[in-house]
Amino acid sequence: MAKVLHYLNQFFAGIGGEEKAGQEFLFLPKPAGPGVLLHDLLKDGQIEYATVVCGDNYFHEHEETVLASLTEVIAQFQPDLFIAGPAFHAGRFGLACAKSASFVRERFEVPAITGLYEENPGTREIGRHVLVIQTGSSAASMQSTIKRFAELAVLLLNNDQESLELFKEEFCLRIPRRFTVQAAAADSVRALDMLMTKLRGEVFESEIPRVAAAPHPVPAAIQNLSQATLAMVTEGGLVPLGNPDRLESSRGTKYFKYSIEERDDLRPGEFEAMHTGYDTSTVNADPDRLIPVDAMRRLERDGNFARLHNYYYVTTGTGAMPAKMQELGVGIAEELSTSGVNGVVLTAT
Amino acid sequence: MLITCLPNVATQVGAYRIMSGNKFHYPVGNPDLPAEEEVKWRAELLRSALKVLQTPVEAPTVFEK
Repeated sequence: MAKVLHYLNQFFAGIGGEEKAGQEFLFLPKPAGPGVLLHDLLKDGQIEYATVVCGDNYFHEHEETVLASLTEVIAQFQPDLFIAGPAFHAGRFGLACAKSASFVRERFEVPAITGLYEENPGTREIGRHVLVIQTGSSAASMQSTIKRFAELAVLLLNNDQESLELFKEEFCLRIPRRFTVQAAAADSVRALDMLMTKLRGEVFESEIPRVAAAPHPVPAAIQNLSQATLAMVTEGGLVPLGNPDRLESSRGTKYFKYSIEERDDLRPGEFEAMHTGYDTSTVNADPDRLIPVDAMRRLERDGNFARLHNYYYVTTGTGAMPAKMQELGVGIAEELSTSGVNGVVLTAT
Repeated sequence: MLITCLPNVATQVGAYRIMSGNKFHYPVGNPDLPAEEEVKWRAELLRSALKVLQTPVEAPTVFEK
């Protein structure tokens, strides 16, 4: 008979609301709250089901005590699966779910799952191998979420690896973080092993998860260039000399626009590149090598396109967070679009 | 459209119109040429970029200069 241990806060366990947030750690030898439905859904599997409850405030004020009590329960009950939540967008509960599930997975190697809304602060505390089912922001989606929990629970209890991968792909939040782990061999050995595996044409898995770029629509081709306004954008960090707006030279979090109105080219000594990712000396000697005002003015004068936008946009693309860059990109694109710009030449270093 | 010296990275992240620049620390520069020649060279490079902007694509595409 498989054993499931379910962690809940005082609210979802039906003990009380905010006035009971100081509820001490409690063991119940039965399902409670959403666990009743979950237990029902798992009934075919002959499940022994127990619940641990802790108040939202009590967990955070007495975290060590709670984890010690949890350790005792795990030792006695010996669960095959640990379930926390779902917590939806509830911050304190989400953190408690993340911490308890991560603790149980890490310390006892018991499979652990939880359910969080993508912006729940608990997502930042998720440990390695904990599966996080993506939920809506409120308990309105409780029923469908619990059904997902049941599906995942069955896959984990049956150790159905193939279906697990498909489930993770479709329903689990991606936690794109790096974790500190003890590796079996030194990095040089692992790197060469991986290289040899690759050279043999065998399947290998990188240790660094690749952040998948979100797909976006294909920008339409410009139909009538002679009527088009074009703008220039760069991630190469080109700013007016002295960097008046303090653009970061790496790990950029901002973008700026600078006027090129009535300029036929960018002269050295008036602009400089703020960027620790490349040798900026050649660009500083002639900033047109990054933002090609001189060439674009010639093409504009010759009627190749209607007008060069009065501003160029700039950020620093080195060491940056992809999510932040996406946000900056959206900002720049919106500004350009509302300014009537039809096309962009973006230079990247 | 994007001018970069890392077109493979640009393809992986899903940029649609990609053209190779000269060097990664001066994508639209050519400091080996005399000044006026370099501007002409750059204008030709950007002329290709304008063609790229007018070309329909369906997937990330790397264009020749």
